[in-house]
Amino acid sequence: MQPFTVLTAVAAPLEIAKIDTGMILPGRYMRRHRRPGHDYGEAFLYDLRFDETGRPREDFVLNLPAYRAAKILVTDSDFGCGSSREGAAFAVMDYGLRALVGPSFGEIFQVNCIQNGIPAITLPEAAIHDLWRQLREQPGAQLTIDLPSQVVVASDQTAHAFDISPLRKDRLLRGIDDIDVTLEYRDAIERFEVRRRSTYPWLPTARRE
Amino acid sequence: MSGPRTLFDKIWSDHVIVVSPQGEDLLGVDFNLINEGQSFLAFDQLRMEGRKSRRPQQHLAVTDHYLPTINRHLGTTGMPNPEIRRVVEMMDENATEFGLPHIGWNHRDQGIAHVIAPELGISQPGMLITCNDSHTATNGACGALAIPIGGGNQLRHVVATQTVWLKKPKTLRITIDGTLPDAVTAKDVILSIIREIGVGGATGYAVEYAGSTMRAMSMEGRLTICNMSIEAGARIGMIAPDDTTYQFLAGRPHAPKDADWPHALAWWQTLPTDDGATFDRELAFDAGRLAPMVSWGTSPEDCSPVNDVVPDPSRIADTDRRRHLERALDYMRLTPSTPLDQIAIDRVFIGSCTNSRIEDLRAAAQVLRGRRASVPGMVSPGSSGVKRQAEAEGLDQIFLAAGLEWRDSGCSMCNGSNGELVAPGERCASTTNRNFEGRQGRGALTHIMSPAMVAAAAVAGRITDVRQLSRP
Repeated sequence: MQPFTVLTAVAAPLEIAKIDTGMILPGRYMRRHRRPGHDYGEAFLYDLRFDETGRPREDFVLNLPAYRAAKILVTDSDFGCGSSREGAAFAVMDYGLRALVGPSFGEIFQVNCIQNGIPAITLPEAAIHDLWRQLREQPGAQLTIDLPSQVVVASDQTAHAFDISPLRKDRLLRGIDDIDVTLEYRDAIERFEVRRRSTYPWLPTARRE
Repeated sequence: MSGPRTLFDKIWSDHVIVVSPQGEDLLGVDFNLINEGQSFLAFDQLRMEGRKSRRPQQHLAVTDHYLPTINRHLGTTGMPNPEIRRVVEMMDENATEFGLPHIGWNHRDQGIAHVIAPELGISQPGMLITCNDSHTATNGACGALAIPIGGGNQLRHVVATQTVWLKKPKTLRITIDGTLPDAVTAKDVILSIIREIGVGGATGYAVEYAGSTMRAMSMEGRLTICNMSIEAGARIGMIAPDDTTYQFLAGRPHAPKDADWPHALAWWQTLPTDDGATFDRELAFDAGRLAPMVSWGTSPEDCSPVNDVVPDPSRIADTDRRRHLERALDYMRLTPSTPLDQIAIDRVFIGSCTNSRIEDLRAAAQVLRGRRASVPGMVSPGSSGVKRQAEAEGLDQIFLAAGLEWRDSGCSMCNGSNGELVAPGERCASTTNRNFEGRQGRGALTHIMSPAMVAAAAVAGRITDVRQLSRP
């Protein structure tokens, strides 16, 4: 996982509420293997970015030249609600985004993003409205996301503090994977399993047929 | 000795292996369900890393999302789309390679994971269950702590370690009291809750559904309620076990047997929330005031009682809400103030992990008995077991006589990943859980409602109040 520390990059305002993970990664793309050069970047928000004939919708924010280089998306409420498809987080990443900032996120999606090295940062609605306004008024303006200090700095230098769990912050900063951390607790896991299965021996198990 | 505790707190603390000082606990997973929807991403990575499954017998892979509901007898060669066929084959290959039990396309128990896990008695009170599916909370109706996980990193983690890192959610009790009016179902209860609190209303909470309405409700209804917790933003929804739960579980293939049963029962009876336990938040609903619900917009909170009208965005004060409504009505091709029961439909779908159990099919069949559907549609039972039972009761003949298709089981047209889609611009009355833009196919116009209401819509060719349908 790529570490995340401080990022200064072009941000795009995406002022559409309740974009669910099915719009972020349409179901028909989920059958695809994800590999270098054939990833989910193309699928990201496909039906919003392209019309029925596959032509880019010229008025869609990410298709405007000023926002093409965006690495940060300032989303609307409930971004990533709906299905738990982790491919939606991969689509965000493969499209080239490195961070999301919004008033609220679908919880599973937010976790999926953070566990893949993409901070999905929640800010109050008023702050989001202010960021949108600045990004609309100065297309191509940059935002800074400073994870160690936990602030988002707007182009007018207003700083917005954000919360993140210390555990996720630490793993994002170091770019370390959950499994590596978990395996340090191997003995505790073993003890838990023995205790649980001896206390409740009827807990279900399945067999290969 | 700790003070009074909630159902959620008891099960959570029972599974904590490591209390993290950094805000997330490491929890042991009793059982993990796996569907083929993108789980290949996790297996690809495990394979590259040379990792194995730690406890293969505590997993069950279930092919449900990509399986077409027709031509099963032709096997995978009957799946015309090569990408879909490949996903189905990969689940089998991955289950074999990692030694995981698998209910595949040709298994006699094949069905939707969240229908068959309770049906086989796998979902039991007190367990921690995970699955790479957002509707995992369905299993919480059995008194379990059932939590959705991501199909990539988190699934890979559960397969490799049989544990999961989670931030402990806050607790929300939703108490529903009173008797449900005629034709008002579990689906209408949960849609009413979502309408009230919004799709983000329970984000960050573990929800316990309680109250006299829940106590009187069947397991099928409880499964429907917990199923749509995620549509209110909650990953976890659960209902305390009681006699309804125990009677439902008794005798099922994976339920405790013989000498184990009284021990299991004694433990289960300690799980319900103690008197005096506190929740971070409480909500109450009066069942007697609820009505059959239908959705008109592009988010599950966009729903209203069937005798209401399409809302008028110009009368909404909140600018964000107004913007959403304008976009939603534009997508749904609806005019403000249109009575909901004047909306003509083109097709119906009865199925999905929300409403495909035997009670759902009975409710739809009761409306359709002796009537003809005036639009095309299909019925997909939630499992092969439900299908057999429905056929034993003659329900299949009622659906067929009404002109609907009687299909095999799977997620099917709920999200169309198996290729069964609603056409662009087509309007579908559906027993499913989501009506986001494009959920049932690009440009598809979805109205979600209960099975009886979908059946009534099928007969009338428009959204209609099932209570006002004239006798055949």
